[in-house]
Amino acid sequence: MFDAQLKNTLTLILAGGQGERLYPLTRDRAKPAVPFGGMYRIIDFTLSNCLNSEIRKVYVLTQYKSFSLDRHIILGWSSLFNSPETGRYIHILPPQQRTGQTWYQGTADAIYQNIYTLERERPDYVLILAGDHIYKMNYAEMLRYHVQRKADVTVSCVAVDKSEASQLGVAVVDSENRIHEFQEKPKENPLTLPNDPDSCFASMGIYVFTTEALVRRVSGDARKDSAHDLGRNIIPEMVRENARVYAYPFKDENRKEVAYWRDVGTIDGYYEANMDLTEVTPLFNLYDESWPVRTYHEQFPPAKFVFSEPLGDDQPVRRGQALDSIVSPGAIISGGTVEHSVLSPQVRINSYCYVKDCILMEGVSIGRRAQVQKAIIDKGVRIPEGAMIGYDAEADRARFTVTGDGVVVVPKGMPFA
Amino acid sequence: MAKLLVVDDDKNLRLLYEQELGDEGHEVALASSGREALELLKNSRPDLIILDISMPGMDGIEALGKILAKDKTMPVILNTAYSTYKDNFMTWSADAYVVKSGDLTELKAKIRDVLKTRGLPT
Repeated sequence: MFDAQLKNTLTLILAGGQGERLYPLTRDRAKPAVPFGGMYRIIDFTLSNCLNSEIRKVYVLTQYKSFSLDRHIILGWSSLFNSPETGRYIHILPPQQRTGQTWYQGTADAIYQNIYTLERERPDYVLILAGDHIYKMNYAEMLRYHVQRKADVTVSCVAVDKSEASQLGVAVVDSENRIHEFQEKPKENPLTLPNDPDSCFASMGIYVFTTEALVRRVSGDARKDSAHDLGRNIIPEMVRENARVYAYPFKDENRKEVAYWRDVGTIDGYYEANMDLTEVTPLFNLYDESWPVRTYHEQFPPAKFVFSEPLGDDQPVRRGQALDSIVSPGAIISGGTVEHSVLSPQVRINSYCYVKDCILMEGVSIGRRAQVQKAIIDKGVRIPEGAMIGYDAEADRARFTVTGDGVVVVPKGMPFA
Repeated sequence: MAKLLVVDDDKNLRLLYEQELGDEGHEVALASSGREALELLKNSRPDLIILDISMPGMDGIEALGKILAKDKTMPVILNTAYSTYKDNFMTWSADAYVVKSGDLTELKAKIRDVLKTRGLPT
């Protein structure tokens, strides 16, 4: 019986945000397409959750700078989802401008502009996901929870430290987890959990709607002066009007002590989440075969490490090595040293150079004797011989973006004199 | 009294509406298709639109989307011979849905309701 409900659920992944706080990584790509963990793109985590939850019908709503995202989904995910005979598919849905000439004004407007799709599909339930979070979650369990409670909308929530509340939507629930109050991005005094005054129950931007409730709400919202946002407008309105709004306590399939859910909305957050993967036991587990994280890459030769001069006393030795690091296929560590870094496919590390605490994206090459630390080097950048990055904050600031935590970002296409 | 725009492809019905709603004290403009209505709206702003759905060319559902995209506050009553469109999600952004009948009592009542909700003179 529950299987029929899953079949009658349509999933919309909102992948149209600009990701401005991740600039310059989002200069040429949508946030869900930003590379993560060497081999992945951010949207892979949500799409893997969909596959692992047996979600069947997926639309990815794209908007800005969608080319690399479209390409990634078509090459990597179409074959995993699409099976017309069994009613499974993934489709990319750019704004159709069926109603107006504007792009999506907000998440509620993104749904409103695609009501035609809901009318054509007539699902019983709509699962709405963000395409830009890192976490593991079984959406089928949330759907079951929603159906059992006959909710109009169910909001997935996670306990977070009070200090993070100003960036999130905060829910106040009763013992049945029904939401009685909802604060969107409270500047001060966020409402805390009854049993834990230091934590808030924060919305993860993941919703299950009963379709009719969703359509009614977004159709009404489209007629109003509003930010046309699900979290800011629709959910608070539904709570105010006593609709059946429930919180679903996030059940983490990552199976660690602390629940893992990251918005990676800022460069510093993104950097930390990547660096975590190089730990001996990372918070986020990529190795759990019961919850595989998939991605797409063309095939590359195995990673290679060459030159093995014995360690000397004073002069630099030619030794190709990577320690406490993730190294992707196609990488060649040729006579240089990498420590505590995340390397994407086809990275080239040349002799006598030293790379520490870095994220090197696909095709990056580090020239001989160059020294780079605490930096994110975007796709295809060639760091010239002898360059120094991450050692002189002033010089770095003059050329690159440097974050509050001191992470240097060298963007795509950066020429070096 | 209010300024109404009646959009319907049936000429006799347009004349009936013009007469009956005119008798209620309203000023009634007429359009015979969704496209003609959109043309009229370029130069005038009625207080309320009464919109048929099944029309040749641009139907009422498509016209509704375009009307609201231009002016999301424009009050629109869908007025159709069919009740089936009522389930169509695309009609849910209208202010009201009235099934056509020889007797215009329900339509007139809805016009009053919508104008009142909007704070317009009935």
